[in-house]
Amino acid sequence: MSALAHLHRPATIEEAVRLLAAGDGERVRLLAGGATLVAMMNAELVDPAELVSLAAIAELRGIRALADGGLRIGAMTRHRETAAEARLAGAAAVLREAAARIANPVVRNMGTIGGSIAFADPAADYPPALVAADAAVEIAGRRGRRQVPAREFFVDWFATALAPGEMVTAVLLAPPAPGRGSYDKLCRVSGDFAIASVALSVAWRDGACERVGLAVGGCGPRPLHLDEADALLRSGRLGEAAARRAGELLAAAADPLEDVRASAAYRRRVIPRMVERAVAQARAQLEANR
Amino acid sequence: MSTRRPLALRVNRAEHELFAAPGDTLLTALRDALGFTGAKRGCNQGACGACTVLVDDEPVRACLTLAHECAGREIVTIEGAAGAAQALQAAFEEAGAVQCGFCTPGMILTAAAMLERTPRPSADEVRAGLSGNLCRCSGYRKIVDAVLRAAETGAP
Repeated sequence: MSALAHLHRPATIEEAVRLLAAGDGERVRLLAGGATLVAMMNAELVDPAELVSLAAIAELRGIRALADGGLRIGAMTRHRETAAEARLAGAAAVLREAAARIANPVVRNMGTIGGSIAFADPAADYPPALVAADAAVEIAGRRGRRQVPAREFFVDWFATALAPGEMVTAVLLAPPAPGRGSYDKLCRVSGDFAIASVALSVAWRDGACERVGLAVGGCGPRPLHLDEADALLRSGRLGEAAARRAGELLAAAADPLEDVRASAAYRRRVIPRMVERAVAQARAQLEANR
Repeated sequence: MSTRRPLALRVNRAEHELFAAPGDTLLTALRDALGFTGAKRGCNQGACGACTVLVDDEPVRACLTLAHECAGREIVTIEGAAGAAQALQAAFEEAGAVQCGFCTPGMILTAAAMLERTPRPSADEVRAGLSGNLCRCSGYRKIVDAVLRAAETGAP
């Protein structure tokens, strides 16, 4: 029998933060889409006394353009909406592709971007995509809002930069740039968590790479990202040699688990192949655009 | 501790009053309080799809949805099948797409929502659309046939 005594439904972020701060991190939990939290409650892995449902907070819903042309994806935006968002194009398409690979259509109809990244499963699809796109995470707490780059948000296995009493309110993206964003996942069956995944976001102008973001998921405590690999791909214009070297660097830096999905050695072995394939596809598109 | 509280749910186009604890899932409310046992409790983890119902015309896992979050929303279970879901029931029967039947309500409601959005799906689109619904009799082929058949006969 669950200990849950209260299900709050605040209408504002400030009220949600106030309710959350009244707990100690275990006793009060935020409920987003339920796809993970309610499953964990059913399995008796967590037993909160109070839940704060975010379903009634209008500010957390939907995707909108910012004054600078960037995009703000509210924390309660469902994976289905993100997967169908036409403005996530060019270099930002990495996020749309990652959303489309999460679980299955029904779970994509429930799960939210805020819930997914706050849980921070390193084998999930959004973390490497956000890191590749160099997105920022907007966080609310008792002292107001702050932003954290996605590259600093994911800190360890299931651990984020969120302090006790804080919540994710949105994911922020720079104005979508022409280019290519792609997300590739190797998994046992459709919709499973990744054995390994590769997120790539390339912005280009006049046939030259302006920005490259490459991240690997499922191969360590947090999305694997190396500034050195990004720089190599940019200066090497997505060439074969640069792709090979970037894949080797990432495989060497990986810290994969041995689990039911694959051995650590297997994961290290597939990383370079997946990186080379993603880069080759981006290169082909860049050349076609010239 | 978890006290039951009054809750009004709109299920299959009718109002129902019940008592539910804050942590009770929609699946518990439907099956144990209201007797809509068409929604099945398979894994209780959102993985199998047997509990899938429609909430405001969209498929959700009843086992991952809290009952009190559903006040004021339109819930449809297999007992309230209408339109595409009814056409699918007939097509499943004709195609022999039912073996033990445990996955069938979730399959039909998931497929009904898919046909609303994609009235003429390809076989691959049907497979992708039903990828979150497991059939442990492994009768997928006839299930895909049945959905395609319903799409053919049900389309205007």
